[in-house]
Amino acid sequence: MNPQPQANTLKNLDEVRAMIKRHKLNDYIFSIIGLLCLMVGLLTLLTLFIDLILSGYPKLLSASFYTDFPSRRADSAGLLSALVGSSLVMLVTFFSAVPMGVMAAIYLEEYAPKNWFSDLIEINVSNLAAVPSIIYGLLALGLFVYILDFGQSILTAGLTLGLLILPVVIVATREAIRSIPIAIREAAYAVGATKWQVVYDHVIKYSFGGILTGVIIGMARAIGETAPIITIGALTFIAFLPPSPITTAAPFLNFEWLSSGFTVLPIQMFSWLSRPSEAFHVNAAAAGVVIILVTLLMNGFAIRMRYKMRKNIKW
Amino acid sequence: MQSEHIFKQYDAELEAVRAKVLEMGSLVEQQIVDALESLVTSNPRLSESVIKRDHLVNALEVQIDEDCSHIIARRQPTAGDLRMILMMIKTITDLERIGDEAAKVARFAQKTFETDRMWTPRFAEIKAMANLAREMLHMSLDAFARSDATKVLAIAQMDEQVDDQYQMTIRHLITFMLEDPRAISMSLEVLFVSKAIERIGDHAKNISEYVVYMVKGKDVRHISMEEMEQEASRP
Amino acid sequence: MMTTTTPVKAEARNLSFFYNGGNHALKGVNMPLYENKITALIGPSGCGKSTFLRCFNRMHDLYPGNKYEGQIVMHPDNTNILEKSVDPIEVRMRISMVFQKPNPFPKSIYENVAYGLRVRGENNKRMLDDKVEEALKGAALWNEVKDRQQDLAFNLSGGQQQRLCIARALATDPEIMLFDEPTSALDPIATANIEELMSELKNKLTILVVTHNMQQAARVSDYTAYMYLGELMEYGDTDTIFTRPTRKETEDYITGKFG
Repeated sequence: MNPQPQANTLKNLDEVRAMIKRHKLNDYIFSIIGLLCLMVGLLTLLTLFIDLILSGYPKLLSASFYTDFPSRRADSAGLLSALVGSSLVMLVTFFSAVPMGVMAAIYLEEYAPKNWFSDLIEINVSNLAAVPSIIYGLLALGLFVYILDFGQSILTAGLTLGLLILPVVIVATREAIRSIPIAIREAAYAVGATKWQVVYDHVIKYSFGGILTGVIIGMARAIGETAPIITIGALTFIAFLPPSPITTAAPFLNFEWLSSGFTVLPIQMFSWLSRPSEAFHVNAAAAGVVIILVTLLMNGFAIRMRYKMRKNIKW
Repeated sequence: MQSEHIFKQYDAELEAVRAKVLEMGSLVEQQIVDALESLVTSNPRLSESVIKRDHLVNALEVQIDEDCSHIIARRQPTAGDLRMILMMIKTITDLERIGDEAAKVARFAQKTFETDRMWTPRFAEIKAMANLAREMLHMSLDAFARSDATKVLAIAQMDEQVDDQYQMTIRHLITFMLEDPRAISMSLEVLFVSKAIERIGDHAKNISEYVVYMVKGKDVRHISMEEMEQEASRP
Repeated sequence: MMTTTTPVKAEARNLSFFYNGGNHALKGVNMPLYENKITALIGPSGCGKSTFLRCFNRMHDLYPGNKYEGQIVMHPDNTNILEKSVDPIEVRMRISMVFQKPNPFPKSIYENVAYGLRVRGENNKRMLDDKVEEALKGAALWNEVKDRQQDLAFNLSGGQQQRLCIARALATDPEIMLFDEPTSALDPIATANIEELMSELKNKLTILVVTHNMQQAARVSDYTAYMYLGELMEYGDTDTIFTRPTRKETEDYITGKFG
């Protein structure tokens, strides 16, 4: 035998096979641990969801739950005003956060000079996304309710949630813009396009799927937000609908609903939950299921949209 | 041309071909020496061996040609490498011709042994010319081995000397033949040999011109001595 | 050895370039581009040949902090295209570019070619149709795509995509076309097609091409420039450069003895 220490280059095939087997065991062990970690999260959520369905199912299946106003009596109380309220608030949120967020992101990515100031803005934008939502509620109370005098209205709530998801929209849009390869940008510039032509003809179009995904995920977050809405003083018991946004007489649009009082799904759920009567808890569970389903639907839609948009774009 | 290629194998291939060309060169040089020796000393064994070795020269030519085409196909030589390959391809053609001339002289020597006529002394006259041509070939090959472009002028001058001597020999032979018609057939044979030697000088000169092309990238063929002098003096 | 009768299309005069952060990438390059000729830039990676090429359409202006010194003068109008007062967009309308990797827009074949015209405000359908057809023919792609111009450009093969990019650059009738290693992502047959196309195109315009492939430079170009460490080491007609370069550095690089 050679007394010199040898590098571990195995020549014996059986030894090689045994070694590969040993190394593969690590793969196996890790996949088990990973799966367990995944299961802890998923199973907890699933249990919660099933529990909610089980306790809320009598209400979930009755049509009147979705068409009735809240009521003093648990069995005739419904979600109508909360559903309408949530939808209208989301409408305001969408139209305030998306244009602002997308334009801000485009400015930051395409136009802003790179210096200490834009670095500062960048850090702040990412930090804003992490600010607790109740702070936004306080800000909105001061700004929209007292200074701008919008009242405790759909407009205030929509703008507040809009502010809340603005950083999310900005970050998502910037990510989407950044995923466009430099080569495509340079190709557009090289034929003589101006910055605006590049942004309008290419950047926005190719990043549309990504932007949409960011927006929908932001909206899905906003729809479940409770704290800022409570802070600005949403009502918990609303037995009327805001004026319809669409009218039969010209100009067919009506913005009175913006200043109307309102309630939203999470607040309705919270108000039912805080009642002592067991029957209202069934309502609360059903409302919870509705919120989760809406969120899931929105996220599902986002994934589908992204897939459709990406199908035609390959870098 | 001193530094090495990144691809070391390429260096090895070029060096191998170059060595073969030099080998062919010295073989051809030996052929000339032996052919003349056999003629002057009436040595039929020597002329026999010169004739036999001619196929070695031919084989080397074919081999080097093939090696060069392989290098061209696989390495796409450029600049100095390209010029060296081109130069070698041309050089071996000239070397092969020189080899043929040597074999011709040897075959001629054999014929004279068979007829057994006693006129050997006549060849002493062309011996100086033969030495000059052989020296030219030697210098050309040496210039190639050393990548030395400065020898071309000296070799061109030697070629003129060889040509002069050839003319002189012709005049000599003509007088001879006029004096004595019996000497005609012998004189023609001497003329024949000296023509071969003159050709060897031309081929050697060609090779020295290829060396200039290889080293400097300048084509010095078919130009006057003055122009060549100018080219040679340029750095 | 340079023929003095060939008109000069553009000329770099004492051109230096500094990247953001001070990297001195080009050092006083003087070099003419001859009209209707192909000029190839060769040199080891990082020698500044792509940097030099991208000066010609002011691509460096897209990134802050880059600085030019010296001039690039276009003939016959004698415009120094590096001048601050000259808009880079104007320069790019005169000098188009084909990139290393095929980079068609994720749009239809038609829209890719028409984009340069649309940027110029051309919206007349018939005019666009004609120009697109002309450019696709000029890029030797017409026969392959004439029945599917509305297909997505990504459905073409790599070589076809690169020819589409050439058509896109060609549609706006540029005076000079820049090629930045146009075949480095293509197979040999597609490469041969592009090279053939380049030698067709030089009848219409002036070409500057950066290539890593020395044989490519030898095959397609009329003039070759060897650059090293931001300097122009040797410039001359391609036959001379590839058979008897004057400088030892050039000789070492093209024979593969570099380093």
